[in-house]
Amino acid sequence: MRETRLWSWHLLVIPIIIVLLGLHFAIMHYAPVFYGVSVEEARNFETMIERGKSVSQLVLYILLLAAALYHGLYGLRGIIRELPMTPALGKIVDITVICVGLFIFAFGTYVTWWTFSYPVGG
Amino acid sequence: MSDKTTTPREITFRVRRFDPDVDTAPHWSEYRQHVHDGMTVLEALHQLKAEQEPTLSWRSSCRMGVCGSCGMFVNDLPQLACQTQVLHLGTDVVTIAPLPNYDNVKDLVPDLAPLIEKHAAVKPYIIYLDQIEIDSPTGEFIQTPDQREEFSQFTHCIKCGLCLAACPTVATDPLFLGPQALAQAYRYTADNRDCGMKERISAIDIFHGPYQCHLAGACSQACPKGVDPAFGIQLLKRALVLDSIGFGKKKPSVAKIMPLADVVKAIEEFAPPPRTV
Amino acid sequence: MNSKKSTAYNNRLGIKGWVYAGKYTFERYLYLAHRLTGMGLIAYMLLHILETANRMRGVVAWEGLMGLFALPLFKMIEYALFAAAVFHALNGVRLLMTELGFFLGRPKEPVYPYSSSIKRHRPLTYIIMALASLIIILGGSSLFFP
Repeated sequence: MRETRLWSWHLLVIPIIIVLLGLHFAIMHYAPVFYGVSVEEARNFETMIERGKSVSQLVLYILLLAAALYHGLYGLRGIIRELPMTPALGKIVDITVICVGLFIFAFGTYVTWWTFSYPVGG
Repeated sequence: MSDKTTTPREITFRVRRFDPDVDTAPHWSEYRQHVHDGMTVLEALHQLKAEQEPTLSWRSSCRMGVCGSCGMFVNDLPQLACQTQVLHLGTDVVTIAPLPNYDNVKDLVPDLAPLIEKHAAVKPYIIYLDQIEIDSPTGEFIQTPDQREEFSQFTHCIKCGLCLAACPTVATDPLFLGPQALAQAYRYTADNRDCGMKERISAIDIFHGPYQCHLAGACSQACPKGVDPAFGIQLLKRALVLDSIGFGKKKPSVAKIMPLADVVKAIEEFAPPPRTV
Repeated sequence: MNSKKSTAYNNRLGIKGWVYAGKYTFERYLYLAHRLTGMGLIAYMLLHILETANRMRGVVAWEGLMGLFALPLFKMIEYALFAAAVFHALNGVRLLMTELGFFLGRPKEPVYPYSSSIKRHRPLTYIIMALASLIIILGGSSLFFP
């Protein structure tokens, strides 16, 4: 059952990615269309920190990070393991991908949390 | 302008040659011969061997698309030599190479052993849990035409191996079960007489199983019998996903057994009318 | 006569089997594009996390990097990424549905000329690709002419 479960998650996160990435695009790249501010304004430091301090942003980005990382790294692991290799090397690839994924997730979460807890006026 | 697909003419055959006793890598040889309308690639090869190149090797048997021996890479597509007409290819140069993704034994002969091994690995037979019933049957399994329709398309596989030659995943992954075996796994799990999903899971629910199919569709394009292995693989994925979340076939599709007495009665019921002469 | 030991020649296509779609069907090209855009997107995502983590180095570092990204070259790269994401997402929706066995029709006795699940879901493929092209063009217009 193992591979079916892994693959099912690969599919289950797709709706999450589509919705959250859509939101991310709307906020960051289509600010002129949706919010009436220019892309440059949406990207300046104060605005970015301001956005990052809302709970919804915190949840959005951590969820998007987890979903996109799982989807992307599962796909990447599939591509790498389709190359000819011994089962032992395949295991090493699996473990490496999991470690890389966890590390990036931890780092991304840290950056998001850093923004969320940025001292006001500091 | 005459039609290139029917006009008999001289055709150049670029044939990939490889003699394992002499060569370390294959090389190409060119031959020219007259081709008449309706001539298949296999017939052209026979003529070539008879008239020009007696050492040319390939594997073929039935010459009518049933045995699945003569799969070749003709004009960059895996095809059965016996089902492919030379003039229908529409080119003046016809390239013939052995099937890719297999070891090349000699000239146009691929080593199909991995295909057969993978086929065997997915337990391509009906698994019925009651072994006593199998050994000494008390009746017949019932199968409606609709139940048969669920999988009958996939029973047409002739194990020619063209699908593995077309598959991009097989191109790098020697362990990937491949379209043929996976479609056969579906053919048996979808059979209402079969209840072997649990026994097959260890063989098919693995990394090198159905999820390395990304629906490139090349296998279904190559299949000379319309088996559509890509379709079988997607249906197998669905069956596996449903099974993993407990929505698989509840009763492991064990068909009712019709007692032998009823079988006899049924035969009598549908017996032909009595002879009149 | 010859001392060479008789060994078969490894005729596996390797990576060429991934990237060279040759005379195969349209979906075989989509497979390639899906794979390439997928790899591009995951590579970008990792870079993007690093790049946005730059905020922790303060206002000056952040504004400097954002100024760089406002250059036309980066706008083009951004647009290529957008196009890749849209293609990957929409083709992914097609794969999501078809890989679970939907839109492929039902199994039936093969009668020549054979139909296949690939051909049967081609209208869906075309609609999805048309939609992707439309979004990529519209997205580009609002990106370049806000």
